[in-house]
Amino acid sequence: MTKTFTQNDVIRYVYHETSAKETKEIEKALLCDAKLEEIYKEVLSMKADLNKAKKVPSDKVINSILNYSKSLNLPSNK
Amino acid sequence: MEKYKISDSQLVSLYKNGNEEAFEQLLTRHKSRVFTTIYLIVKDNYVAEDLLQETFVKVVRTIKEGRYNEEGKFLPWLMRIAHNMAIDYFRKEKRYPTIIMEDGSHVFTTLEFSEDSIESKQVRQDTHAKLRELIQELPESQKEVLMMRHYMEMSFQEIAENTGVSINTALGRMRYALINLRKKMKQFNIAYDQNIYPK
Repeated sequence: MTKTFTQNDVIRYVYHETSAKETKEIEKALLCDAKLEEIYKEVLSMKADLNKAKKVPSDKVINSILNYSKSLNLPSNK
Repeated sequence: MEKYKISDSQLVSLYKNGNEEAFEQLLTRHKSRVFTTIYLIVKDNYVAEDLLQETFVKVVRTIKEGRYNEEGKFLPWLMRIAHNMAIDYFRKEKRYPTIIMEDGSHVFTTLEFSEDSIESKQVRQDTHAKLRELIQELPESQKEVLMMRHYMEMSFQEIAENTGVSINTALGRMRYALINLRKKMKQFNIAYDQNIYPK
């Protein structure tokens, strides 16, 4: 029998926070529960959008950080 | 979480031994995640860049001075510094910043969209900027969980511990955040299409 899963379970699954056993069960449930599959697709799509919406800092600020690091010669506790 | 050939921990070790390229890799790997997290709190591109710089200056000094704790993980430590920097900025300013609309002109210049038309680039930039704007408009509790899980890569367990709620509450907030954003993005896309392609 297929176990019932909630929307919260789907979110944990999408964010890779389910155990190996749960992952298998959710994947099985996704095949036979259209509503769950729809939620899964929505969450997955939103996750991808959030990744694409990441901002990229300017090259100027990145170069400035790299130059700072190169210029700093401190004795470290290796 | 993305998988890399060389772990953050290995890069930190190399950096401690004077390998500046290892630091460059760490910076390249995490710059967008850190920058986005700061930006979503301060809502100002210039302030976010200043705080990004301050964050990495602290990282550089801590590692080079030999004060970096090997037992902790690099990314959560880095994200904690960035988050605290952004929150401290608020406290110092004693105000909530006004929302500054983005023109998006230089934000995506480092991304490669060479095969896209100018129009599709613009649509994409507008969509991404709108999504960031919508994240900022979320109720604080939802925005906090979304940022912590998605950009700071904290687990729901860690978020629950940090915010003093149960895992189920944290998950519920994440669910509402995602549903709200999805709904609003759909509305935005419909309105946007009607503006660009009026009947």
